[in-house]
Amino acid sequence: MEQPATKPSIPVPTDVHAEKVISIRGLCKAFGDNAVLKGFDLDVFRGENLMVLGKSGSGKSVLIKCIVRLLDPDAGSIDVLGEDVLTLDQEALDRIRVKIGFLFQSSALYDSMTVQENLEFPLRRHWIEKGTQDTGALVEEVLTAVGLPHTRNMYPSELSGGMKRRIGLARTLILKPEIVLYDEPTTGLDPISGKEIVELILELQRTYGTSSIIISHDLHVAKLAANRIALLHEGRNYLEGTYQDLLSSKDELVKRFFIFM
Amino acid sequence: MAYKNALRATLDEVGSIAHFTGRFFRNAFYPRFEWNELLRQCTENGYRSLPLVGITAFIMGLVLTVQSRPTLARFGAESMLPSMVAISMVREIAPVITALICAGKIGSSIGAELGSMKVTEQIDAMEVSGTNPFRYLVVTRIWSTILTLPILSVLAMGISIWASWVGVNIKDAVSWDLFYRQVFESLVFSDFIPAFIKSYFFGLAIGVVGCYKGYNTEKGTEGVGQAAHSAVVVASLLIFILDLVAVQITDFMGIN
Repeated sequence: MEQPATKPSIPVPTDVHAEKVISIRGLCKAFGDNAVLKGFDLDVFRGENLMVLGKSGSGKSVLIKCIVRLLDPDAGSIDVLGEDVLTLDQEALDRIRVKIGFLFQSSALYDSMTVQENLEFPLRRHWIEKGTQDTGALVEEVLTAVGLPHTRNMYPSELSGGMKRRIGLARTLILKPEIVLYDEPTTGLDPISGKEIVELILELQRTYGTSSIIISHDLHVAKLAANRIALLHEGRNYLEGTYQDLLSSKDELVKRFFIFM
Repeated sequence: MAYKNALRATLDEVGSIAHFTGRFFRNAFYPRFEWNELLRQCTENGYRSLPLVGITAFIMGLVLTVQSRPTLARFGAESMLPSMVAISMVREIAPVITALICAGKIGSSIGAELGSMKVTEQIDAMEVSGTNPFRYLVVTRIWSTILTLPILSVLAMGISIWASWVGVNIKDAVSWDLFYRQVFESLVFSDFIPAFIKSYFFGLAIGVVGCYKGYNTEKGTEGVGQAAHSAVVVASLLIFILDLVAVQITDFMGIN
């Protein structure tokens, strides 16, 4: 794989993070003749919010769908919490998926179920079978965490876009994941709802100690929520750094991002 | 060239449906079983189809009786009416009409529901939460159609025979006892059993096609409409093909 000639060298602050929770090497994914990821590398460290920034159609969502094996990559390796997810059998994959929360861009709430049933659905299949915790208390806890305790008996069709996103987040959190993958968490929301979601992401990072990958092309999200940013360009990790690193970068591509996005 | 492409696409589709059916059987007999969802689907697909199937069966029994009566009367064979209607209904009309009604109602509903879940990423959400969506959504729906179609067919048989008695009584006065006795004197188990067995296969076809079309929906909301529509068309066609095969088998076995 040919590396971009203009790749700048911004130091990655790995020294402040001890443990890698996600490690991706040489990830390739093509749809027919359209190669989306062409040898993508990335490390995510425990407790950090890493944002993958890129243009629409650059393969950001494909990347996180490969991490949870909703898509199978063509080449490369993905280690999540020390396990190579590409070699896991279905049972082991389901076990690791429980440790990874995924917030869909569309929220993907089950529209034939109430909010409570949506939240109980993943619980019924995992923890409650072991009888470790009371379902009602867990539902109450995550609904309070996302600030919507009154929506318990509502259907998704009765919720606004921002509320759906919060309930989606609550459904993700109910399994107490170690890692959360956010797919365009603020897209389609008004600025106030978008800011509330960002604040919620930060709050959950503090409260639950989750590590996250946030997929977005929104620089406001990058500024407010990301500890580190990886720029996905032409299928590769073009560069990584903090928001300030990127803002002060002399690289033409990075400058274009900050001007036009 | 166009014919070649169409043939290839059709064969691809047949192969994919066969593969999907194989996947169903690989998942159908092993835990974990989703009993609650299966029960809910049996209620949705079976119990809620009962009024439609019942009304259709009643009308079919009544119409067949009223229309056959003049012809039989011309040969002085009006007394054969209960036997004729019962054999037609039990052997062919009730199972096939029930299956076609269910292909329209259940097949389209499954296709649209799963299609909508697919395009709104609900199936993906289920998968990433560690739930096997194929087992939860597909296996339960196919089992529900397999289990409820024979029951609906038997009910349709009963209702259509009762409707035939109503039809006979429009012009004559025949007691239910007499009518019932004539029906069961002409019917034998070999009339009923093949019809009952083929209803299981009709149920399998409706469930598999509806789930296959919905589960593989693409192209957003337009795809949901296409999934619902093609689920009905393909399932109806499959029902006729299965019926043809069933007739050949029963004929070969000397049951006809």
